[in-house]
Amino acid sequence: MIKNWIGFYTLSSREILRFFTVWKQTIIPGIVTTLLYIFVFGVALEDRISEIDGVSYKMYILPGLLMMNVITNSVANTASSMLQMKLLQTLPELLITPLSSLELSLSFIIGGTVRGFVNGILILFICIMAGMQIQDPISTIFIIFIVSWSFSSLGLFIGQMSDSWDQLALIQNFVLTPLSFLGGIFYSVQMLPEWGLTISKINPVFYTINSLRYSTLGVSDAPFISSMVFIVLFALLLTTLAVKTMESGKKIRF
Amino acid sequence: MNEIAIYINNLHKKYDQTVYAVQGIDLSIRKGEFYGLLGPNGAGKSTTINAITSLVRPTEGNIKVFDRDIVSDFRYARSKIGISPQEISNDWFFPVEQLLYFQAGFYGITKKDAKERIDFILHKVGLYNHKDKKMRQLSGGMKRRLQIARALAHNPEILILDEPTAGVDVALRHDLWNFLQELHKEGKTILLTTHYIDEAELLCERVGIINNGKLVAEDTVSNLKASTNKSKLEDVFLELTGRKLDD
Repeated sequence: MIKNWIGFYTLSSREILRFFTVWKQTIIPGIVTTLLYIFVFGVALEDRISEIDGVSYKMYILPGLLMMNVITNSVANTASSMLQMKLLQTLPELLITPLSSLELSLSFIIGGTVRGFVNGILILFICIMAGMQIQDPISTIFIIFIVSWSFSSLGLFIGQMSDSWDQLALIQNFVLTPLSFLGGIFYSVQMLPEWGLTISKINPVFYTINSLRYSTLGVSDAPFISSMVFIVLFALLLTTLAVKTMESGKKIRF
Repeated sequence: MNEIAIYINNLHKKYDQTVYAVQGIDLSIRKGEFYGLLGPNGAGKSTTINAITSLVRPTEGNIKVFDRDIVSDFRYARSKIGISPQEISNDWFFPVEQLLYFQAGFYGITKKDAKERIDFILHKVGLYNHKDKKMRQLSGGMKRRLQIARALAHNPEILILDEPTAGVDVALRHDLWNFLQELHKEGKTILLTTHYIDEAELLCERVGIINNGKLVAEDTVSNLKASTNKSKLEDVFLELTGRKLDD
């Protein structure tokens, strides 16, 4: 239970301000990358690629691109903040304050969630400008929020367990990026052979993209309700993991 | 005056299941006391300090701050302590003043309530004119002073200073000494670890000497000198630890 509300508010604010102070690194790149994808697939290649589920290819990939940005930004925020604090010796000063493990964890997670959410909403605007007509705005906003929260929690866990930037990059490059690409950003998983389809169904990113694709475009590879249930349970699981790891003090208290 | 600020009972800390950094330390520091913890490198000073602030989890033993357990009553215990760690922390993102507001906030103090205190501390440590600078723009001495300012941001009753004058020039060291003496006069309990024996001799009412994770002596500076028949605390230290300071 949260008791030190001022401390909790202060750390959450710090985490949000931290990424806003370096907005050129934390906000702009996602927007530029998405615009490049839209240009390449929408302008240069779209005529050569057929529609999927009755949706133009450019539109089809937009929810996946949005999700990829949300995931990358929310993970990066908490993971880098935690690791940076460890390496720059600022973490011990935080750990000795009267903030509980729950308050610490949630503050970090809020910072990452806001970054993921802000990036997601900005890219949603780009999608709208590119011609996307959102079918279910409330679900869309909720999905962006809950996925930001989930991966922000995962980032906190990764940041606490990492000892160096190399380890962090290793997880991002060899786990998160493949999961994102294999989650169906650029294709429908129905196009995959049976084994590929089976693997996709155990990939959490598949459900995040699938639910957002349904709430925005109205098409999906799996039932919307089951995808939503999955991402909510996934958020609860990762939040618990992050809080319990913080409580354990592993790699931060000795 | 006899109230105990920090009480350490049978503190043991073993790292990696094998190496004992601290082996059965018992220590009581009275409220308002200026206490020095001396010892060679690796003697267990920082482990002891980090155990008080709960960065290190004791293998055995317990610690109380103003008679409240630091684990079961961690919010109370931590709110009473301000620490200036040995390693200078580098928060690159925010200016000096903002860092102090954050620090006060972590301890449950609103920005409005912290303002007067933070202005006072900034003046006191000579950083008021640098309050809008970020850490990378500060000199080593300024960073050290900021470290102490952060420890004081929430006006703690106990101040723990882990080698506060390590790597600072003579003039700044004297400034810091004056400042610490002032804080002591105000009634703060101060626990100081240092390699500079003259520093401990000048500032501390009592000193404890740690060697190989054990408290090998503890008394006032004059009593320690008398009991070992030495004229300088440095000689007492060398005799009790059986080695040179930088061994």
